[in-house]
Amino acid sequence: MSPLPLSRLRWQRAAAKALFLSPIVFMVLFFALPLALTVVWSVFERTMFWMKPGFTLFSYENFFFSARLENFLGSMMHSSVSVVVAFLFGFPVAVFIRRRIPQVAQHRVILLFILPFMVSEIIRIFALRPVLQRTGLVNSVLLELGIITEPITAILYTPMGVIIGEVLSFLPFIVFAGFLAMEAVPKYVFEICDDLGARPHRVFIDVILPLAAPGIFAGAVFIFVNGLGVALLPNILGGPGAVNAGLIATQAISALDFPLAMAVNAIMMTTLLGLLYIGHRLFDLTRILTPIN
Amino acid sequence: MGDDYSSVWSYRLKWLYTLLLVATLMLPVFYVIYISFNKNGFGAAEYVFTFEWYGEIFSDLLLLGALGNTMILAAITLVVAVPMGLIAAKFYKATQAKLLTVSLLLSPLFVPADILGSALLVFFKNLNIACATVGEWLGVSWFDTWFDLGYFSALVGLIIYTLPYIFVVILITMGRYPEQQTEAARSCGATAWQAFIQIEFPQIRAGVFSACAFAVILTFNEYTRTSLLKGGYDTITTVLISQMLNEGMSEQSYAMSSLISFIAIAVIGTIILYTLFQSDRLEREARAKAEPVMSS
Repeated sequence: MSPLPLSRLRWQRAAAKALFLSPIVFMVLFFALPLALTVVWSVFERTMFWMKPGFTLFSYENFFFSARLENFLGSMMHSSVSVVVAFLFGFPVAVFIRRRIPQVAQHRVILLFILPFMVSEIIRIFALRPVLQRTGLVNSVLLELGIITEPITAILYTPMGVIIGEVLSFLPFIVFAGFLAMEAVPKYVFEICDDLGARPHRVFIDVILPLAAPGIFAGAVFIFVNGLGVALLPNILGGPGAVNAGLIATQAISALDFPLAMAVNAIMMTTLLGLLYIGHRLFDLTRILTPIN
Repeated sequence: MGDDYSSVWSYRLKWLYTLLLVATLMLPVFYVIYISFNKNGFGAAEYVFTFEWYGEIFSDLLLLGALGNTMILAAITLVVAVPMGLIAAKFYKATQAKLLTVSLLLSPLFVPADILGSALLVFFKNLNIACATVGEWLGVSWFDTWFDLGYFSALVGLIIYTLPYIFVVILITMGRYPEQQTEAARSCGATAWQAFIQIEFPQIRAGVFSACAFAVILTFNEYTRTSLLKGGYDTITTVLISQMLNEGMSEQSYAMSSLISFIAIAVIGTIILYTLFQSDRLEREARAKAEPVMSS
């Protein structure tokens, strides 16, 4: 035979291998690389409409020695509150599904929580305005029932509104993460606890929490970081004081201050990686992946 | 269901709580749908039921053009991202570096939209400048506009956004597929491709189709990345947001939001019902298999 088929075979092999690697290459090129480069761009010098290579810490100064830091810390606090509230409301559902629903049916109950997630974020968040505002659904129902005599105005265009929005947007994620986490708690563990006569709160603190910690942590980090980074929430539901990192970054972009936006990104990525690192050291986050392996 | 120690009422209460939680999460959406049927629009004292606004969606040229753009983006995302997710899941199964692969593919979930969007925006602008500089240096200009903000950059953002979901959905379905069947097919003389198409694909089909639904719905819903990367044209969500933030939503926009939400709910609802039906069958099969053991 001529050498042609052999070289064609080799070429085919190479093409197949390249195809096999394509998702990884894509993610490195368009996801990991741009995020890593934000650190470089954040020390560039700002020009009128763009930026030029250089080294200056002006953007960081601009972030840390202004009201932006205060806003950032404030949004961290609101995010933490959202994480706790979402956990309190959402995690018991994950426990309930794992504990009481037959194994084969568990996934379909969890699917229910995908439903709200499938409706556009902007519609869900924006729709909270007519629900929460002075003449909105919540106030009119409460007034009608005679529970309040005056409309509550503290639940929209305030940090409270942002927290409500965060909890309603991200609650499904704590249910999913909790559901994955509860994979680490087999059903017989509950039976043993029942047989030994453990009280529910002891079961929760001494058994469920330590076993499910990695998944809970992953869900909590997800909500925390998105609470910091999703600009839409404070933009639509927050008042004048409610600004998070995502909003600082998008405002910097519209003001054509690209180095500042990149500095905010770098700070956010550091926060995220730092949290994941701490979590990994504490709980070994690879344990979450057991169900898909 | 439940064990011998728990009362049936606590079980029912917990179910009620779960359903109430989902209903609460959906409440704003239902409220938007409710408003969209009001002839007088939002905030009116009187509620008059009408389909009028739905008829007028299709006379709003801005929304209609945006709908076209969104559909094109959704179609391309579907065609590119779903095979990529499939390949990524296969790669994950085969590779030794599992942790690295899975963290690379799932970490976009953890990076907030505005952060990734702005990083990509600056990335593309820089690529553009680099292309222009190299082009000037070489004296050619045919690749100057490759990385201009537009469909391509928006698609990159959308693929990064949808890929983790597609990857997870397909990977979970693949988990139920016994690898030995591929080995058996291969030893019977099938090529790798035949083994995949004829043996594996029919068994993971449900997962791939759900992934397709996810890709399209997520593309329709995405706002932040698209609005940063889209360049000159509009998508549904960017039109809606600019209306919301400027003059308040028009009645047609309420209708459009409801329509999109309704379609998404219908599609995902169908998938949930299908899964329910399937898991009923699986449950019966599992019970049938378990029975001889139980009775012995």
